[in-house]
Amino acid sequence: MSNEQSIADAETPRERSQGPGASRVGSGEHTSIDISGLELTYGDGTEAVSGVDLTVGDGEFFGFLGPNGAGKTTMIKVLATLLSPTAGEVRVNGFDVRTEPRKVRESIGYMAQETSIDPELTAEENIRFACEAYGVPRGERDKRTAELLDLVDLEAVADKRSEEFSGGMKKRLDAATALVHRPPLVFLDEPTTGLDPKARNRLWEYFQRINEQGTTIFLTTQYLEEADTLCERLAVILDGEIVADGSPADLKRQVGGDVLDIELGDGPGAQARAVTIAHEFDDFDNATVEETETGISVTAQAARQSGTDLLVALRDAGLIVTGFNVRAPTLDDVFLAITGERVDTDGGAAATEEST
Amino acid sequence: MSTPTESGNADREMMRSANTFAGDVWINLKRWNLKAVRNPFVLVVSLAQPFIFLVLFTEVFGNVAGGAVSQGLPGIDYTTFLVPAIAIQVALASAVTSGIGLVNDIENGMFEKVLVSPMNRTAVFVGKTLAEVFRIGLQIAIILGLGVVLGAEITTGVVGAVGIMAVGILFSFWFIAFSNMLAVLTRDQESTIIGANLLQFPLLFLSSAFLPLEALPNWIQLFARINPVTYGVDAARAIMLDEDVMTVLEVTAFGGALDTIVPAVAVLVGLGFMFGSGAVYLLSRASSSDVR
Repeated sequence: MSNEQSIADAETPRERSQGPGASRVGSGEHTSIDISGLELTYGDGTEAVSGVDLTVGDGEFFGFLGPNGAGKTTMIKVLATLLSPTAGEVRVNGFDVRTEPRKVRESIGYMAQETSIDPELTAEENIRFACEAYGVPRGERDKRTAELLDLVDLEAVADKRSEEFSGGMKKRLDAATALVHRPPLVFLDEPTTGLDPKARNRLWEYFQRINEQGTTIFLTTQYLEEADTLCERLAVILDGEIVADGSPADLKRQVGGDVLDIELGDGPGAQARAVTIAHEFDDFDNATVEETETGISVTAQAARQSGTDLLVALRDAGLIVTGFNVRAPTLDDVFLAITGERVDTDGGAAATEEST
Repeated sequence: MSTPTESGNADREMMRSANTFAGDVWINLKRWNLKAVRNPFVLVVSLAQPFIFLVLFTEVFGNVAGGAVSQGLPGIDYTTFLVPAIAIQVALASAVTSGIGLVNDIENGMFEKVLVSPMNRTAVFVGKTLAEVFRIGLQIAIILGLGVVLGAEITTGVVGAVGIMAVGILFSFWFIAFSNMLAVLTRDQESTIIGANLLQFPLLFLSSAFLPLEALPNWIQLFARINPVTYGVDAARAIMLDEDVMTVLEVTAFGGALDTIVPAVAVLVGLGFMFGSGAVYLLSRASSSDVR
């Protein structure tokens, strides 16, 4: 990254940064988040989170994936002390969210799913208010505000009221206000939802930059491409339970092989026949076959080696193959394998586009 | 993909000092004052309507109403009679913006942002309310100035003017609390504005604000007894005229204007506590992390 030092600052005492810092009172181990047996049930009986165990280490870029309503936001709100757990133990930066909520709040940055800035204040005033709210020492505020405006590229509009900003600018400003006190752990709840790809890429750069500077990041997203690009480790939540946990590569390996997408030329009847042929195809053990909009999609260990044979078999059966593509599985496929549903957001679409 | 940093610099120190209660109050007071200045609309609109009332009422009803006023309070012209009521109207109109500010904060996410910050939550609301109360005091001062220009007379002078501002601020507490309760319950800007504004006119007209109660029908006189506006207006008017103007409670223990001011202030303090505790209850429920 180009300007690491702009934020990494001369006077951060990195030299004496080995071992637990002053801010991390009472926790010897290097975990940012430690969750065991977390349950959260809403008043109407909805079990938003049921029995989650999870540990996130210091400095990790952790991604939390799941379809809408799976419990992502509920989880992040528990971690940010906005919701009290129904059962289980949750420690954030070594502090118990139930008994030491203020200590947790002091030591985290939180960026809500909805952009949260005061539209009547300028960019600079928004950051300054956050500096004051998080107790950034008086003498440091000017410098810190300038640093953050630089980090999120809003120097030029520092004195403009934020109600005039575009969605991407507002998100960047919101992100800056979550970082004022240099928190060791930052929560980002779907930070790029609704942004255009350019604005999204820019935010990704900022997140990577602060992570490289040692900040632990806990990110929720529906965009599999986002998780794939940014995160070292992922967990997938479904109906309030964690159903997969590992690096993006680990998770993709679980899909069971490569993916062969085949486009078929003639009518809908052709797809059903093609599915039957693919299922009966000898070279593919345990293949998963599904109908797609334009043809079929086959996931199998031998998809690369024996793919052409399947194409020949389809032709012999009188089907017209108009296109095909063999590719490594994307997180979209992982998601499909785990949750049984495709991600029907533009994020899912973006992931597909990239692979073709 | 970023590389794992086992030891890394995750342990770099945070840049913060401890929050203090007074500091947290000050931060929020500054923010809400800044917003009021940024949004002169709020300041002007909550002044404009009462000001229009002041001019129109004295011009249109001045002659007719003046007769009714002089029966009970000889030698007092209608402008002088009306100005304390307009001061209370300003307090009422301005108090509505407190709830609107809260709804806006809930809608634009600032409410939650403040909740995840380490600021003391009581200090957050104290700071916001102080900013509003400061604005109400300022607006009443402006109305009193305009009133004097239009010919009203504050018998008790500058001390009286400060006293009327104090009464207006004390009066505003119950309605500030009420508009915040509406804000938390509806979480909707329009409902809050409509709810609070709908109440304003009946409260003002069914009180001693615009005419002496003796000149009004019996049922209004009855309602005026339980109407907070009557107590705010009577206290402000007693200071303005330096006379015992209260007719809903007969108190003679203190003598002169104090026979109105003391019981009226006592009622307003009681109302402030009653509505205040309702608002505190709802606000702390809205801020709590308990699952519902």
